Amino acid sequence: MERQEILDGLLEVLKTIRTIDPARLVGVTEETDFLTDLSTPSTELINIAAKVEHKFDIEFDDDDIDHMGSKVKDIIDLIIMVKARSENE
Amino acid sequence: MQVAGRKVAVVGMGGAFPACKDLNEFDHKLFTNQSLVRQWDLAVQYEKQIRSTVSGYITEAEMGLEAVWAPITEKYPETYIDTLGRIPDANLSTADMGSIWAMLGAQEATKMAGWSKAEIESEQTGVVVGSGGAGNQILRVAWHYFFQMGKKARIAGAHTVDRSMSYREAANISCLLKTKGVCESITSACATGLGNIGHAYRLIKFGLQDRAIAGGVEGTALETFIGFDGMMILSKGFSPAESSRPFDMHRNGFVCSFGAGIVALEEYEMAKARGANIIGVINEYFNNSDGDGDMFYPSFAGQQRLWKGLLPDKGLRPDVVKMHGTSTPVGDSVELLSVVDALGDEGYHMAAPKSQFGHMLGGAGSVELITALLMLKNQQVLPCLNSETLNPELEGFQKNANWHGPDKPLAAYRHLVPQKAFAKEINRVACLNYGFGGTNSAMLVSRDI
Repeated sequence: MERQEILDGLLEVLKTIRTIDPARLVGVTEETDFLTDLSTPSTELINIAAKVEHKFDIEFDDDDIDHMGSKVKDIIDLIIMVKARSENE
Repeated sequence: MQVAGRKVAVVGMGGAFPACKDLNEFDHKLFTNQSLVRQWDLAVQYEKQIRSTVSGYITEAEMGLEAVWAPITEKYPETYIDTLGRIPDANLSTADMGSIWAMLGAQEATKMAGWSKAEIESEQTGVVVGSGGAGNQILRVAWHYFFQMGKKARIAGAHTVDRSMSYREAANISCLLKTKGVCESITSACATGLGNIGHAYRLIKFGLQDRAIAGGVEGTALETFIGFDGMMILSKGFSPAESSRPFDMHRNGFVCSFGAGIVALEEYEMAKARGANIIGVINEYFNNSDGDGDMFYPSFAGQQRLWKGLLPDKGLRPDVVKMHGTSTPVGDSVELLSVVDALGDEGYHMAAPKSQFGHMLGGAGSVELITALLMLKNQQVLPCLNSETLNPELEGFQKNANWHGPDKPLAAYRHLVPQKAFAKEINRVACLNYGFGGTNSAMLVSRDI
């Protein structure tokens, strides 16, 4: 799965998070920070993670989320890593 | 301790009312003797699983709200959209249905009060609002997915706690309005609504706060309804409009309803000095417990002590008693006789607004205080709908050798219980609410004269 494909899917998830201003989703890049650039409430990161699991049919370990950074690239890296991990199991 | 000379005024009110788009429609329907009780489609869907299917419920659409259903968990309102743009999305994300009603009611009440932004955000403005139940609709899904489905705790989302905690309504109001004073909830079952307002009254009366947003809420939730349905204490066998029938001899249970009542309270002299419209003045609040060890059965002695606490030789008599009047067999008769015991059998009337909209549980006391304030405004007594026949025979407990209350049957007091609204001079209304556990609350509220 290409990084751009994952970013597109992630944007679909973010559009369902009503505490994120849709206007801020225009021009989101991998360097965009959820907390500082999108003003996402920190509690909402849990909801984003749960929706990402559903969207990409993966399951994060609790440690994965505990150590997840707040940039878009961090969650894309995590999705790729977890997908690879599940394929190797 | 009370501060001498310090009085408390009601300067604003708002809320959520069944089958009414706003407070004005609620006012109109009540004083034109209408019932707000309806057949509840959601309950009917469960067919034989559920015994009673009538309610004074409120839908999302009626409040200008749309549920956003979670893609992961079926039938779980992840959050709500305010189609009328009154509440920001960030505040909606931390609120269950009842908390949203509380925020809307607080907006209306503070607007009616005419408080400035600085007054609302002051350290002297408190929030005292609560509900009778937990955030049952939210908790059911979180628990189901964890315990039954074996899912991770986070699947229910990150807002299970803030959307279900006991003082969620107060917390959500305070976060929305940025108040800096006291923020807490009183919970006392079906006396919750009046209990929160009573506590807020004391905060102002005792000099701890100058203003307070206070009230009670019960958000529409079938999860809450089925608890009472399972106790088999809900009305059954009547048309929706005839289901709530306090004091009628054929009553067989209460109508489980939902709603919110929020009032804005202010120290009287401050309100007068800024030219506020004084909707009412709270003369007294008193509450106690039965102390007889019984969770459910009402206590005549407890209610006698309640009246002594409410009217401690001040010469203040109510022109109307706003009854708790749930339409349950024993509760109504004990209450009516305790009022007669305290006030005699003439010079006042009994209004039973639950006959019009059912029993709003944690919202009952505050919404019914609003009905008392409307009676003061309109100078009309609200009716006890469906109280067609009062028992011409003595109640069973009146035949007990230990009974020391009125010795006439309920029918002897027919003249005190109107079946339709009517006009008369009303200067003071006493409000009564009781709850499981033997908790009793009473408030006396007057016109500003």
